[in-house]
Amino acid sequence: MTVSTVSLFLALLALVAQAGTVALVAVRGRARRALAAAVGPHALGLAFAVAAVATLGSLYFSGVAHFPPCRLCWYQRIAMYPLVPVLGLAAWRRDRGIRPYAALLAGPGAVVSAYHVLVERFPTLESGACDPTNPCSLIWVSRFGYLTIPAMALTAFLLILALLRAEGDQS
Amino acid sequence: MTSQTRTRTRTKSRTRRRVPWLWAGLSAVVALALLVALVAGGGAGPAEDTGLAQTRPVTVGGAALPPYQPGADPAVGTPGPELRGASFDGTPVAIARDGRAKLLVFLAHWCPHCRREVPVVVGHLRERPLPANVDLVAIATGTDRGRPNYPPSRWLDREGWSAPVLADSDDGAAATAYGLTSFPYFVALDANGTVVARAGGGLAPAELDRLVARAAG
Repeated sequence: MTVSTVSLFLALLALVAQAGTVALVAVRGRARRALAAAVGPHALGLAFAVAAVATLGSLYFSGVAHFPPCRLCWYQRIAMYPLVPVLGLAAWRRDRGIRPYAALLAGPGAVVSAYHVLVERFPTLESGACDPTNPCSLIWVSRFGYLTIPAMALTAFLLILALLRAEGDQS
Repeated sequence: MTSQTRTRTRTKSRTRRRVPWLWAGLSAVVALALLVALVAGGGAGPAEDTGLAQTRPVTVGGAALPPYQPGADPAVGTPGPELRGASFDGTPVAIARDGRAKLLVFLAHWCPHCRREVPVVVGHLRERPLPANVDLVAIATGTDRGRPNYPPSRWLDREGWSAPVLADSDDGAAATAYGLTSFPYFVALDANGTVVARAGGGLAPAELDRLVARAAG
């Protein structure tokens, strides 16, 4: 499987994740209650799946595609990677108390991802010149005109936050 | 069984019934995404081959400049190293003490700042050509087949870059000799080959004019 195939696959998943996030956040009234009833009991498991896919994607890009992670990528990894065991264990044990702890990782992760997306669009935000080794403004992957690696990470963080909220909504 | 208990039992059983459908639906979506990616994702293969060498050996003569740092520049007033190499197509290119002032621009094809700067330089020089005694030379360095916007020869062609281009060696000999620490990177040499100014990062047209004026003397 080529890097292009994997990046398209992850970008398509990101599109689905964005639709899911919008549905979880924007739906109101009876539909929201129905969505909470349907998704809520599985929200931790779904959030774990999102974190796992994001982590595997990140490891694929660095380990197989040889796209070296930049400084901002590392900060996002610090936020995303621990979510896999944390949410996995919480889903397994049905431990709803994990929500604030997971949100504490996903929230700052989303902020860093959003800033990274801005740096890609406006490289001068970080600096007026490129670091000769690995600048954060370097765009390794771009799909559908806007889905870069940090944009996909932002999508994952936001969906995790939306799922944590849906998990809370069911009560 | 009370009606309340019956309702609770119905809700629970409905939730239980939804379990496989939710996961099955998501699995189907993932499978569909994989299928689409497998069918449509193989388009961008390995980096394009232009038939031109994107890096070429460079011979350096003279002492290397200290690494560039903004502020007081110890390289100013010292002789710039002489470089002998070739362009992408093999045409010899030399940065030598030939009695002409020079503005050197070090560019990396993957650097977003360089990709923004090249159209600025090309557009500005079209409106305001260099003085007759100043030559502009680009040094394509940091070249990496695995990075975006490869190959640099095609990128510079596309941008309408008409000045000579020296293709740096694989190990960046020209960049090291001139003390490059960031991209894009400018070095102004006077007619004696002495460094009169260095600058890192993208330059606005007015800053470019100032560098050219210093090179021209």
